[in-house]
Amino acid sequence: MEQPVQTETWKAQSLEELVRILHQIFAEDKVSVEEVQALMESYESNPEEWLQYAKFDQYRYTRNLVDNGNGKFNLMILCWGEGHGSSIHDHTDSHCFMKILQGNLKETLFEWPEKKGNGEMTKKSERVLRENQCAYINDSIGLHRVENISHTESAVSLHLYSPPFNTCNTFDQRTGHKHKVTMTFYSQFGERTVC
Amino acid sequence: LPAGLSQWFPALEVLDVSGTGLTEMGTELLSLPCLHTLLAKNNRLGGPGSLPKGLGQAPLARSLRVLNLSGNRFSEVPPALLQLRGLRSLSLGGNRLHGIPPDIQELQSLEFLYLGGNFITAIPPELAKLPSLRYLVLCDNKIQSIPPQLAQLHSLRSLSLHNNLLTYLPREILNLVHLDELSLRGNPLVVRFVRDLTYNPPSLQELAGRTIKTRNIPYTPSDLPESLVRYLSLASNCPNPKCGGVYFDSCVRQIKFVDFCGKYRLPLMHYLCSPECSSPFSSASQSSTSQSESDSEDEASVAAHRMQKVLLG
Repeated sequence: MEQPVQTETWKAQSLEELVRILHQIFAEDKVSVEEVQALMESYESNPEEWLQYAKFDQYRYTRNLVDNGNGKFNLMILCWGEGHGSSIHDHTDSHCFMKILQGNLKETLFEWPEKKGNGEMTKKSERVLRENQCAYINDSIGLHRVENISHTESAVSLHLYSPPFNTCNTFDQRTGHKHKVTMTFYSQFGERTVC
Repeated sequence: LPAGLSQWFPALEVLDVSGTGLTEMGTELLSLPCLHTLLAKNNRLGGPGSLPKGLGQAPLARSLRVLNLSGNRFSEVPPALLQLRGLRSLSLGGNRLHGIPPDIQELQSLEFLYLGGNFITAIPPELAKLPSLRYLVLCDNKIQSIPPQLAQLHSLRSLSLHNNLLTYLPREILNLVHLDELSLRGNPLVVRFVRDLTYNPPSLQELAGRTIKTRNIPYTPSDLPESLVRYLSLASNCPNPKCGGVYFDSCVRQIKFVDFCGKYRLPLMHYLCSPECSSPFSSASQSSTSQSESDSEDEASVAAHRMQKVLLG
């Protein structure tokens, strides 16, 4: 993605409109990170519009595909029960946007481990993202762990990945060792995926 | 709770009074025969009278399946709660609990137990007497060790232990064959080979007990004082396959590392009856001093492969 001469200021009035505008943006050759982030943040979360995608699992967070962006991006909704969290992971050279639709998520940023590293990974920063906020990350920024630290509330987030990817690396915080994993969808377009 | 609740809504099945500032839930609950789900999170419950007296005799004791009391002020699990014999799902996350009562085993139907975000320091072995428990959350507490008896939770699918004070796990954790998820991050797990060198030699009583057990010397309750009969029943088997011995109080604690599918190395604690015993994890070596960090861990690796998602990192 590179900076175009002028960035538009979008306002998505509904989830459907958000998807429509995203298709429009990604149809171009050049897409601006700031533009996409502002668009995602402009959408005011309305549970009625996304409840059909928000399927929770008792044991861990779920990934629910909403739209596959004509191959240019994947838009999905993640559902986090109380205490659910992800491992530290990278983003396979893709751009990752994460918007909170409900509840709060804590994002902890980590430095990439040294090539020969065999020690504890270095924490860069952490923050708690509130409803409707949108965060952005890519591999050049670093790695992160995302978790719902609430013991009373569940959380729902909207993620956009471009280009789409289905494998990434997870990292052991104590040693920096990485391990490739394949990600799957708990549901697609509102239908539970049976494995 | 408003008086007359059970008169207006006798068929009530789900009641959600979360975030209402409740300080107690009274006798209105006792007359709701169909209630299966009670959500009362983010209130001010925790003092005496939070739950009504006579709960064990009410229809609720058999009908209630789901109880969510997270985000309240409980400093102990209210004894009345343990009378809810039909309970399948219990959440006391984000309270002020300092421990778990052994009588938790009364909740025999429990499948889901959420105790994250409290001040729990220890886990009673009685927690393992819950045969249907599938999901156990103990994250964000102050737990220093896991009792090996927890390996008896045969139905356990997911165990959340992140952000505690664990330095090692009991070796028996490998017996949890259905465990898909295990979260351990944020614990000060030892990363280097540790050997507990403070081995206290066994007492005469222990030596006598060991001899009786290993040589199968017959005895009946009338032969010995009751205290010794009880003592003999507490013998533990040494895991060293070449030893076949037993120990009572005197044992060597040893931490060995187990590889999980080549991904993570977990420190597991096990007990041996003497420093001369080698662990089941090591290959031929007999002498304790020649054991190295990278012992072959055949038996452990096989068990470890069953745990698909150990979320350490």
